[in-house]
Amino acid sequence: MLTSTRTECGSVAELPAFESPVSRSFVSSEGASTEPRRSGAALTLHDVSATTKIIVRAGPETAAHHQLHASFGTSRTEEGVLVVGQRPDEWIILGPADPSRALVDRLDRSGHVSVIDHTHSRALFRLTGAEAASVLEKLCSLDWNDHMTPDGAAVSASVAKVTCDIVRDDLDGTRSYLISCDRSYGQYLFDAILDARHEFGVGPAGGPVG
Amino acid sequence: MTRLPPQPGEVIDRSRPVDFTWNGRAMSGFAGDTIASALTAGGVRVVSRSMKYRRPRGYMSNDYWDPNGLVQVGDDPNVRSAHRLIEPDMAVEAQNVWPSLEHDLRAVTGLASRFLTAGFYYKTFMRPMWLWPTYEKVLSTFSPGGRIDLDTPHRYHDKRYTHPDVVVAGGGPAGMAAALAVAETGAMVLLVEHGHRLGGHLLWGDDHDRTLAAELAAAVEAAGVEVLVDSTVTGRYEDNWTAIVQRNHPVAVERLIKARAKVLIAAPGLIERPYVFDGNDKPGVMLSGAVRRFVNMHAVRPGSTAVVFTANSDGDAAAADLERAGVEVTVVDARRGEGIVRALGGSTSVKGVELADGRMLDCDLLVTAAGWTAPTSLLNMSGDRPVYDDAAARFFPSVPIGNVLATGGLAGDGNPDELIEHARATGRLAAARARAVSHRLQAATARAQPVEGEAPGWPPDIRPALPRDPHPALFRSTTHGVVDFSEDVSSKDMVGAAAEGYDSVELLKRYTTATMGPSQGKLETVNTVAVLAEARGQTIAEVGTTVWRPPYAPVTMGALGGRLFEPVRVSSVHPWHEANGATFMLAGQWIRPDHYGDPAGEVRNTRQNVGIMDVTPLGKLDLRGPDVPKLLSHLYTNKWMKLAVGSVRYGIMCAEDGVILDDGVTGRLGEQHYMMTTTSSGAATVWEWAENWLQTEHPDWRVHVTPVTSGYTSINVAGPKSRSLMRRLAGDVDLDPDAFRYMQVRTATVAGIPDCFMWRIGFTGELSFELHVPAGHGLAVWEGLLEAGEDLGIRPFGVEAQRIMRLEKGHFIVGQDTDGLTKAPAVGLRHLIKLDKDDFAGKPELAWALEDTSAPVLVAIQPTHHGRVVPDEAAQIVRPGTDEIIGRITSSRMSPSLHRSVCLGQVLPEVSDPGTELTVVMLDGRRITARVMEHHAHFDPDGMRVRG
Amino acid sequence: MLIVPCPNCGPRNAADLRYVGESRPRPDPNSASAKEWRAYLYERANPAGLLRETWYCRSGCRRYFTLERDTVTNEFTNPPTPVAKLGKRP
Repeated sequence: MLTSTRTECGSVAELPAFESPVSRSFVSSEGASTEPRRSGAALTLHDVSATTKIIVRAGPETAAHHQLHASFGTSRTEEGVLVVGQRPDEWIILGPADPSRALVDRLDRSGHVSVIDHTHSRALFRLTGAEAASVLEKLCSLDWNDHMTPDGAAVSASVAKVTCDIVRDDLDGTRSYLISCDRSYGQYLFDAILDARHEFGVGPAGGPVG
Repeated sequence: MTRLPPQPGEVIDRSRPVDFTWNGRAMSGFAGDTIASALTAGGVRVVSRSMKYRRPRGYMSNDYWDPNGLVQVGDDPNVRSAHRLIEPDMAVEAQNVWPSLEHDLRAVTGLASRFLTAGFYYKTFMRPMWLWPTYEKVLSTFSPGGRIDLDTPHRYHDKRYTHPDVVVAGGGPAGMAAALAVAETGAMVLLVEHGHRLGGHLLWGDDHDRTLAAELAAAVEAAGVEVLVDSTVTGRYEDNWTAIVQRNHPVAVERLIKARAKVLIAAPGLIERPYVFDGNDKPGVMLSGAVRRFVNMHAVRPGSTAVVFTANSDGDAAAADLERAGVEVTVVDARRGEGIVRALGGSTSVKGVELADGRMLDCDLLVTAAGWTAPTSLLNMSGDRPVYDDAAARFFPSVPIGNVLATGGLAGDGNPDELIEHARATGRLAAARARAVSHRLQAATARAQPVEGEAPGWPPDIRPALPRDPHPALFRSTTHGVVDFSEDVSSKDMVGAAAEGYDSVELLKRYTTATMGPSQGKLETVNTVAVLAEARGQTIAEVGTTVWRPPYAPVTMGALGGRLFEPVRVSSVHPWHEANGATFMLAGQWIRPDHYGDPAGEVRNTRQNVGIMDVTPLGKLDLRGPDVPKLLSHLYTNKWMKLAVGSVRYGIMCAEDGVILDDGVTGRLGEQHYMMTTTSSGAATVWEWAENWLQTEHPDWRVHVTPVTSGYTSINVAGPKSRSLMRRLAGDVDLDPDAFRYMQVRTATVAGIPDCFMWRIGFTGELSFELHVPAGHGLAVWEGLLEAGEDLGIRPFGVEAQRIMRLEKGHFIVGQDTDGLTKAPAVGLRHLIKLDKDDFAGKPELAWALEDTSAPVLVAIQPTHHGRVVPDEAAQIVRPGTDEIIGRITSSRMSPSLHRSVCLGQVLPEVSDPGTELTVVMLDGRRITARVMEHHAHFDPDGMRVRG
Repeated sequence: MLIVPCPNCGPRNAADLRYVGESRPRPDPNSASAKEWRAYLYERANPAGLLRETWYCRSGCRRYFTLERDTVTNEFTNPPTPVAKLGKRP
């Protein structure tokens, strides 16, 4: 009966709906969409927690380490999947379930390589807009200027006192950040980001503050 | 009315009258008026009472620092009224006056005043000690503060971090010119001005001054400099961590900005220094700058007959401004050897002045222009120790600091061109140094844009020094007067204190409290030093000065609090708990259901039927790699090298001092895959503890530790009917007692959700299955369990029921039944300490602790004659008939299963044998008898239920 | 706030890290005397001057590293070293 705890990258498609850590009623118009929606507002915050998130840990002595090909602090896109060098010898793969799984399946797993599906462990939000850095400035002590945190940069830091992994992943030239935290903090962090962007005059779904 | 006809430099808008009240009386001013200018225009002279002697006080410096201008505005205490602008319907009141500003009954006569001299706190109110409560009441009436309203609504305070290349503190001509020069290089600059507009002292100057101010301000705006007015750089900390309080934010009441400035430019200008003479605190005695601001900026005539005592061009300009405003002016020129001896007149207003040559002049306004204080605060905070210059009669910076540069009045004098060129050179130097810092930062930061070429060298400071204008050294006349207006400390007090032996500047300051009041030395520091120097017969340079510490200006608690970040964690089942009447408790950051209305009922139902509990906060660490057993053996005190796949084991972890750090079970899910659980509060600590060993002592061990606490929704299914329930939902697992035994683990599909795992453990003492479900489906499984178990009598239970059940079973909780001194042998698990292992955390201490026969031990305790009495947790256990403490109750509850109270407690070994009678002292002083039990478990000591 | 140079992340605010303390070797647990072991647990040199100390980059790379800091000036004089590279029990 018992072999291993989990299929590493199980698809969630055929199961009961994935419950986002952000309460349903709050973002009813957005739900837990995996794709950021285009919005006319200057600043949008989307709950994309259902995105597949896979951690790969592989030291420099492994083949997988070199296959992943994104150094610490940087990210790259491969066939619609974001490969993020989140920590030394540690990557997070973000994307739709099937291509993410396919990417991980292509890795050479020989040596001390660990693959851990983190989809359920993390909340993931996308903050997009010209003012996105100004919102982060209210929550996090890092320098969000282009020269220190350019498009593609990956960093971990405290956001509203919660440790988060952040990737700058601009959309069509518009500033955009993927912010992930431990799932249990999801609702708190979502609310904290909403509160921080209040002064920029837009509400949860990207519309004017009601 | 003393409002003047329109003045060329006025900042008021006469088309917008503003009504407000002063002590309940209707007043009026114009938009742009400060409270001070509006009150003065309305003929108000006395605005406060002095702290100790309750003497009437009027505006003296007419700026933010005015020690006499603190007022109450609505629920806002200690408002600087010469800085705060009036707003419609503002309710302004004098502070701490009784019964009224005009007639304060506490005004001290000459006879009583001798009790309030220097050090009166220490002398007058010391003995006898039993009178302290009375003394406190007396002393508190001397508190200069306003009224705090506990019903003040919560207001929105904000916080922001920023990383500019350069922060410029001060928006006068030097600050503006410096910021402009920085911006011209393309660097990012933040210009912070304390006042309401850029311009500094040029704003109350002549036409030429104002033209220059306007030109600079326009250039600053055109250059794209980020300007914050009505904002203060309140502190400079390590590595140029710079605190800025922004008061002009459109949304927030205040915003605290934490700026990591690559270079900080200090350009605060100079603060005018009062002159010490008899009567210098009478209303109507003002500084030259105060007068010029009243006349030129607010079109207010501060008096009708003035004597201007001047030692510099600002005093001369004040005299000219007053004459233009129609005031009759007599000039007393210090540069010609003329002087003033004392101010004459009643207590509510100056009426005249006695000059050094014996003349008596009538006046209702006495203006002094005696020199300057350089507010070197930001330089002090950066490590500078200012040095006194005799010729210029003020302090100057002495220690060059690489990333903090001074310009403007702090650096010297000179004509406007010289000053502006110095500021521009400072800006260029700051920008060049910021570039060098930036290059280093980028080169050292993995995520940053790559930088080209070698790191630029550190640009040297080749700015030409500014000239220093000579100035007469004028501090005190031949009479004694007030030095610290906030604290009501006179030069006579100081001379007396010095004679008593408090003759070092730091001692004098603390003894007399000079410089320690709301003005924090801005006006009185140099006079304090000068008076002490005179008393000691030394020079000012020899006496030295006190150190200015943050904040530069007072900071409100709201600004410091900012937006409150208080993270909370919830499980996936939280919406269900909310919808189903859970009473919540906060456990660390976790919001957990304490109970659902009836914890005892929850216990009974779990013991009779089946209960489910959301135990998601249980820490979970995913461990992978060939060397996991080595790590486990090192962290836990027991053995782990032979744990079979599919098995679970309990262990305790100790720190290197042998004290219990955490406990929990770890299961082996695969050949190289383990799942460790920790206490809810210990998850982060244990993770860092594991990483510490892996990274520092054993980098050769191949283990990946990944926290997955909230990746799984953890549900404890407990009770005699739990197996029946699980059979309905986890049909693919053989749940037969022989196939899936106590302390085993299985992976499963539960309620249609794959990738779950569950293990049989028993914190509650019941047959139980602890399910771990991928969190995105946790709520579905929880609801599925409740639905499937309806006919079995399923009910959820909360933390309280769990705590009762575990106590009935005698299971200890780390941190509740153990403390910061409890080593592993004390909790009855000596058999789990395996000294035959080569090494594990805390091994030597545990070896010694096993030999120790004196440490308290954990035992189960039951009250004897009072089975219904529940001892208080933390109640002391004493030796019978004495007050000698020999133990304490650590956990205590009424047991719904046994219908009596049950406890755990730590006692000395000599009273730990089963059957020993103990005396427990209740919080109300009652003593009850209790007995040490044979087993930790009060309930089902043989563990038949849990293994069922 | 002090800036601490993390060998992986680069300069970070001290609040992003946990200060572990003076770096000190762990005595052999099987032969250490009580005096030696307790010196390891409790005794610190606390010098006014150069100090080798350990930090944990809690909010960033989650790596332990050591560096040398002048406790008087707060200047970091050595490039930081990942702890593992120091070798076991120096």
